[in-house]
Amino acid sequence: MNTPLELLLLSVLLYLAGALGSLLLARRESLAILCSGVTGLLGGVVGVVASLPVLLSGTTQRFVTDGPFAFAHFAARLDPLAALMVFVISVLVAVCSLYATAYVREYAGRGAWAMGFFMNLFVASMVALVVSDNAFYFLIFFEMMSLASYFLVIFDQHEEAVSAGFLYFLIAHAGSVLIMAAFFILYSHSGNLDFDSFRALHLTGPMASLVFLLAFVGFGAKAGMVPLHSWLPRAHPAAPSHASALMSGVMVKVGVFGIIKVGIDLLGATASWWGLLVLAVGAISAVLGVLYALAEKDLKRLLAYSTVENVGIILMGVGAGMVGIAAHLPLLAAIGLLAAFYHLLNHAAFKGLLFLGAGAILYRTHTKDMDQLGGLATRMPWTAGAFLIGAMAICALPPLNGFVSEWFTYQALFSMGGTSDIFLRLAGPVGMVMLALTGALAAACFVKAYGLSFSGLPRSAHAEHAQEAPLPMVIAMLLLAGFIVLCGVGAAWVSPVMATVAASLTQSATAPVAIGHTLFPGDPGQAHLSIPLVTVLLLALPMLPILLVAGLRGARLGRRHGGDAWACGYAQEQAMVPSAAGFAAQPLGQMFAPLYRVRDTLDPGSVSRRAVQWCIDATTRLEPLWDAKVVQGVVEGVQWSGRKIQHLQHGDFRVYCLYVVATLVVLLLVAV
Amino acid sequence: MPSFDLLCLAVLQAVVLLAIAPLMTGVSRMIRARMHSRRGPGVLQDYRDIVKLLKRQDVAPASAGFVFQATPYVLLGAMLLLAMALPVFTRHSPVGAAADLITFAYVFALARFFFALSGLDSGSSFAGIGASREVTMGVLVEPTMILSLVVVALVEGSTNLGSMSASIAGGYLQAPMAILLAMAAFAFTVFIEMGKLPFDMAEAEQELQEGPLTEYSGASLAVLKLGLGLKKIVLAQFLLGVFLPFGNLDTFTAGDIALAVFALPAKLLAIFVLAGLIENSMARGRYMLTSRVTWIGFGCAVLAFVFYLTGL
Repeated sequence: MNTPLELLLLSVLLYLAGALGSLLLARRESLAILCSGVTGLLGGVVGVVASLPVLLSGTTQRFVTDGPFAFAHFAARLDPLAALMVFVISVLVAVCSLYATAYVREYAGRGAWAMGFFMNLFVASMVALVVSDNAFYFLIFFEMMSLASYFLVIFDQHEEAVSAGFLYFLIAHAGSVLIMAAFFILYSHSGNLDFDSFRALHLTGPMASLVFLLAFVGFGAKAGMVPLHSWLPRAHPAAPSHASALMSGVMVKVGVFGIIKVGIDLLGATASWWGLLVLAVGAISAVLGVLYALAEKDLKRLLAYSTVENVGIILMGVGAGMVGIAAHLPLLAAIGLLAAFYHLLNHAAFKGLLFLGAGAILYRTHTKDMDQLGGLATRMPWTAGAFLIGAMAICALPPLNGFVSEWFTYQALFSMGGTSDIFLRLAGPVGMVMLALTGALAAACFVKAYGLSFSGLPRSAHAEHAQEAPLPMVIAMLLLAGFIVLCGVGAAWVSPVMATVAASLTQSATAPVAIGHTLFPGDPGQAHLSIPLVTVLLLALPMLPILLVAGLRGARLGRRHGGDAWACGYAQEQAMVPSAAGFAAQPLGQMFAPLYRVRDTLDPGSVSRRAVQWCIDATTRLEPLWDAKVVQGVVEGVQWSGRKIQHLQHGDFRVYCLYVVATLVVLLLVAV
Repeated sequence: MPSFDLLCLAVLQAVVLLAIAPLMTGVSRMIRARMHSRRGPGVLQDYRDIVKLLKRQDVAPASAGFVFQATPYVLLGAMLLLAMALPVFTRHSPVGAAADLITFAYVFALARFFFALSGLDSGSSFAGIGASREVTMGVLVEPTMILSLVVVALVEGSTNLGSMSASIAGGYLQAPMAILLAMAAFAFTVFIEMGKLPFDMAEAEQELQEGPLTEYSGASLAVLKLGLGLKKIVLAQFLLGVFLPFGNLDTFTAGDIALAVFALPAKLLAIFVLAGLIENSMARGRYMLTSRVTWIGFGCAVLAFVFYLTGL
């Protein structure tokens, strides 16, 4: 039990044991909750221990056995990229499992044991997926992951959850069909399902581009990139909050992982237009994702849309890296991929934290409508503090981790702008502007999210009577907040590790990215940045005004808080209360109105809804045709003859006598 | 870590900029008064205001939370960081490891984040509207700011403000048209960020950009006013330091030092007088139509980028 792969196996077995235990303890739900939580926590810790040596050394571990099927080897490969994914998954799973031990009590009596089962199965399949090195097993685990998470989405069983789950099911499977097609093309050329044989192919030309496009769209649907994102803001918020955290924090990254795996690892990123395509889709996802997040009033949906944004930012880094590989610019490739990997790690941390924070709010107030919240900072101070750190990190504010990864993304795009190819010179700075726009919109979005939830006065009775979340939930959130600060301030130690992962994919020497505590994008002349210095200054400089205020205290009285805020006589006016629809969303909604309209016209959900509606309309018009033309004709004919026959029944006694006589005469004539 | 001498220089320039901040905002007020045909309060009024406020008690609504209390200090701290890292007297930045244009943009974002959040955190509906406008302006301004600086950075091959400044001061303008247009676009964003008409009129209207100030009082208001004043100086010096570093030190000789010490207030004064003149010849625009005006600045920056691409 000491090689990384064995430890990883132990971690997966722990998750499976948790799933099974949860299933067996269905009658004793509190035990089932504890069982799945503790095994998840242990599995996560073991996963971290398994992945760290591989990450730090940059080596690759392989294991191959025949497995039960003749056509596919069971191959596991723990390379630095897979180790990074295992690390990210394990960290978040450990924290979320700790959180779940308290949070899932909310679901006691409503099948909490089933939640533990699907949750552990979901995690186990993700971990197995990222290390599997054979297309067949890769797809099996991919399906397992989609199905287990589908059951988590529909867990609440209300109408919105079921319909969101159905949309998720459809899009996830449409995606996996495309991925299967991509793998099938590779298989038909190599004759073997092992990824190693795909790597040895060195496919080029239109066939390689076809494979890449299939995989890009297929995995992109999983990653939630625009325009295949419509399921994400519906499915992620429907799941229980710790599952939302895992889905937004790591499951979408499996999509990004797939794009990197096929585009760079298997196909070698041979054409530079692939990278430009990924970059463009990433930039559009980033801007549109955050713009739509801004318009939301449901806190969890806002967070889910912001996942679309962050996947976009990661894809921008991946795109820059792919361009660098294709154009033989090793530094650009290294910095672009470094930025992508760093942001992948960071996003898992802060989006996980924010979803756990939203879950804590939901746990205490039973609402995620921001118009019903407010004033929670005084009632849930620890949750508020952790959420604020997450919000600052996701807005890329220095000195937290989001800033470092976005800084590297900017630097990658900047060095792209300094190349000689006109397309790259154009694409780099355009990407930087879109990233800047994204950053400003994200700030607006998270000022709104924090401000409406935690600041001001409570806007409902639930919010007014809220109290701090249970201890395990608070500890989980604080752990993630601490991790965010570490990943930010310790950037000079994290970045070289990410550079090693990038180097393992570009097959070149590791790019120098840090000396001492100073970061630089390969070339110190282009830029350099010391996060510890910025941190120290940002913490020390506010001391100056604090000393100034304290020194000039004189006869000044202490701070006094009390009474209502000044409202200029509009205190009872509902329109003046800060609301989700009004804050920043209203002015920006008007200024960016065309981009909001795009959502409705381009959204595959609404397009398919319109198509379905057309079909329904057509069939509702076709279906009565038979009735109208044939059945109705017969009915009318019968009625018409009935009316004619009515004339026989005259009501006169003498006429009836005449009928009797006439009938007798006719019968006599017939008889004779 | 920067050397001890450079750190002293950094602290010195931050202190100098902080000390002259109320003077420069006082000059703005005086220009406005004169253009309104008023006598005005005199250029030292802002010092008197701040000293008076520092003696007063802090009073805040019951709903105000810890973000509200922390914001004045965070804002002033962030601006002091920028003041330390800017090239002020010298051509290179004394704290090069913090003087990156992206770092600058995001430290401004940090200040904006807290300033806007303090508006919501006060619980006042007017401050909330001010916060909404503050973040909206950020969305309209930041892309232009980044693009105009990136054009210069691309010309000079570095995103470090000190390197950019030194390259421009060194006289080798490689793409003069692009740099001039980028300077125009950047000056436009600086003008907006300084909180000027037609985008803002902080002295009169509570709900505008300085709206989050509504609930502040006493010492907190004094610190916040200092911070906002310093923000204006830092923005002006950002423009001067990157695009017009003429007169800044290259070598530490007595003549050069005297020139730099003289050039700094003269250039800042010129910027503030110019901004004051433009501001007071404007009418206030409708807030919802602001985006139509900011397109001019963005268009200017795009043009600068096109000129850079074509090598003009």
